[in-house]
Amino acid sequence: MLETIKLTKRFNGHVAVNELNLAIQPGEVFALLGPNGAGKTTTINLLLGFLAPDAGEARVNGASVVDDPIAARRHIAYIPEQVMLYPRFTGVENLDYFSTLGGRRHTRGELLGLLQRAGLPAEAADRHVGTYSKGMRQKVGIALALATEAKALLLDEPTSGLDPAASHEFSLLLRKLAGQGVAILMATHDLFRAREDATRIGILLDGKLAGDYATNDIKHLDLEKLYLKHLRA
Amino acid sequence: MILAIARKEFLDAWRDGRFRIAAVVVVVLLGVALLLAWQQVQRTRAEHAAAATLERENWLNQGEKNSHSAAHYGVYVFKPVPPLAIFDRGLEPFVGTTVYLEAHRQNQAAFLPAQDATAMRRFGELTAATGLQLLTPLLVVLLTFGALAGERERGTLRQVLSLGVRPRDLVLGKALGLGLVLAALLLPVALFSAVALAQLPGGDAGGSWVRLAWLGGAYALYLAAILAVCLAVSAVASTARAALATLLVCWAANAVLAPRLGGDLAQRVLPTPKLAEFEAAMHKAVQEGLDGHSPRQQQLQEFAQETLKKHGKTRLEELPFNFNGLVMLESERLAGKVFDHHFGRLWDRLESQDRLVTWAGLAAPLLGLRSASMALAGTDFTQHRHFSVAAEQHRRDFVRVLNEDLMNSTAGGHHGGVADRSLWEKLPAFRYDPPTTAHALRAATPGLMVLFLWAAGAWTALLLVAPRLKPN
Repeated sequence: MLETIKLTKRFNGHVAVNELNLAIQPGEVFALLGPNGAGKTTTINLLLGFLAPDAGEARVNGASVVDDPIAARRHIAYIPEQVMLYPRFTGVENLDYFSTLGGRRHTRGELLGLLQRAGLPAEAADRHVGTYSKGMRQKVGIALALATEAKALLLDEPTSGLDPAASHEFSLLLRKLAGQGVAILMATHDLFRAREDATRIGILLDGKLAGDYATNDIKHLDLEKLYLKHLRA
Repeated sequence: MILAIARKEFLDAWRDGRFRIAAVVVVVLLGVALLLAWQQVQRTRAEHAAAATLERENWLNQGEKNSHSAAHYGVYVFKPVPPLAIFDRGLEPFVGTTVYLEAHRQNQAAFLPAQDATAMRRFGELTAATGLQLLTPLLVVLLTFGALAGERERGTLRQVLSLGVRPRDLVLGKALGLGLVLAALLLPVALFSAVALAQLPGGDAGGSWVRLAWLGGAYALYLAAILAVCLAVSAVASTARAALATLLVCWAANAVLAPRLGGDLAQRVLPTPKLAEFEAAMHKAVQEGLDGHSPRQQQLQEFAQETLKKHGKTRLEELPFNFNGLVMLESERLAGKVFDHHFGRLWDRLESQDRLVTWAGLAAPLLGLRSASMALAGTDFTQHRHFSVAAEQHRRDFVRVLNEDLMNSTAGGHHGGVADRSLWEKLPAFRYDPPTTAHALRAATPGLMVLFLWAAGAWTALLLVAPRLKPN
């Protein structure tokens, strides 16, 4: 579903992503761990087609992000660290607008249902999103992924800044989406969440995949040790 | 997709309280400007009508006198105020409204409304036209500077583009939505203009409705160009603040700098003589002939000899008519040639200056719009010239009738006899048919072309910039 083949990106001679090979299947949650500057966000930008690779290729559901970025994006839902919405619109209006842009029209009842599935309190749906907490905005992002029936979900530090309860709630939603066959790539610093939510964990260092592990094979403590070992290496 | 984006932009703008306040201020200002101009046109027309009636009475009741003295007594004629002066007063405040017609002289229009204005006038007169030309672009800037740059800064652009929206569709949707906001805003102004025109006595004269429709088209082109430029700047600017700063500089260059520079450029490239120099040159040409080698006295002496020869007489007193009247006719004919030459050259030069300023509009669209707007409203120089020519023609006809009467008046010797009211009544009051809509459209064509080129260029630039829209 999400695939990168020898994907490479350089900025002024500095290699941000270095011949990265990834293959994330439907239903998989792939957590991409790595320190700041490791190339996590660049990888996501390459998969979104916001950056052109210098070498290699990236595909979403078979569509090349370079040759046909629009078609590739049609299969993607993207949830950044802060889901940005239009503050003069309500939650349901934002969802309506974004899902229409994503090619899916829904009735108001359906939109309210989607927001409810994403865990947004019913009373909040008709409130202007200017009053929303970060967690509520992330839920609108999840509702959008549901609304557009995305086949792949790209998450960039999605739980950063969320309180533990909101973070846990978000994890449950992710697992639900994965259970529906969505391929998920999550860039994060959060080892705990990565261990909890992901089916596979990749450690990215200097744009290269330094390790790729099945989550079932490692415990929390092992992950931390493994991560630090890679950092020191 | 484009419609969904347009709808969202429309709602977002309406829900922005700051924009609503700015919009109300602009609409109220334009409405007040229209109302005041409507009252002013009504007042000026009433004053002109009363003055014309009084003038006619004075002419008819001037008593018995020599017909040439009546030609010197003269008459005043008044320039009709075009109906669309309620929208754009153009040059009206700066060119005269009244012409004094008398023997031997072609006078320029006098009594400039600007002369009666207070010192505040130097800050400009607010008409619906100036409001639309200067304030509405400012409103477009405020409406659009953050349309793309602001979304980029907030991160919503990234969110939108991640959904597979084509950047060109996004830009077009925004342009459509913001264009609709502007249209909704200006609709009351358009309706108010139409009502004001309909309520103006004779408001439908001279193809006013057709002209108003063209004016609507000209302003739509102008605002469409401004909208496209603003969106293009917002698309490429790194931040909304940078977009705003750039657009404000562009606005000032277009609204403040360009008109001054355009005027200065025209005067430098195509200078016009000072009034005193112009009148001195014309007086000299009347005395010495257009070639400078045909003194008037010599020409008239030759004319007398030719006349005597033609009638087979040796003395002027033997002619079967008053030779003094014939000399007056000949003198007017010769002076008319000089006036046509000098005024023709001056007016051609002024029209050339206007054309130069209009084409300078390729650098600042306001110059093109002003030219088209004045031409369509009937308040530009070509239409003032049309009136001046008509007034001069009336002067020549009226002086000719009086001189012919003098020529045929053999009583009273050299100075002729005395004429009375029966002769004064033979001279009709001045009647003026303003230029047709076709004339106005011809005059407006360069300005409309400038606006069309601007709109086409700005939209092409926007469509070229759109695919390069960066989410970060």
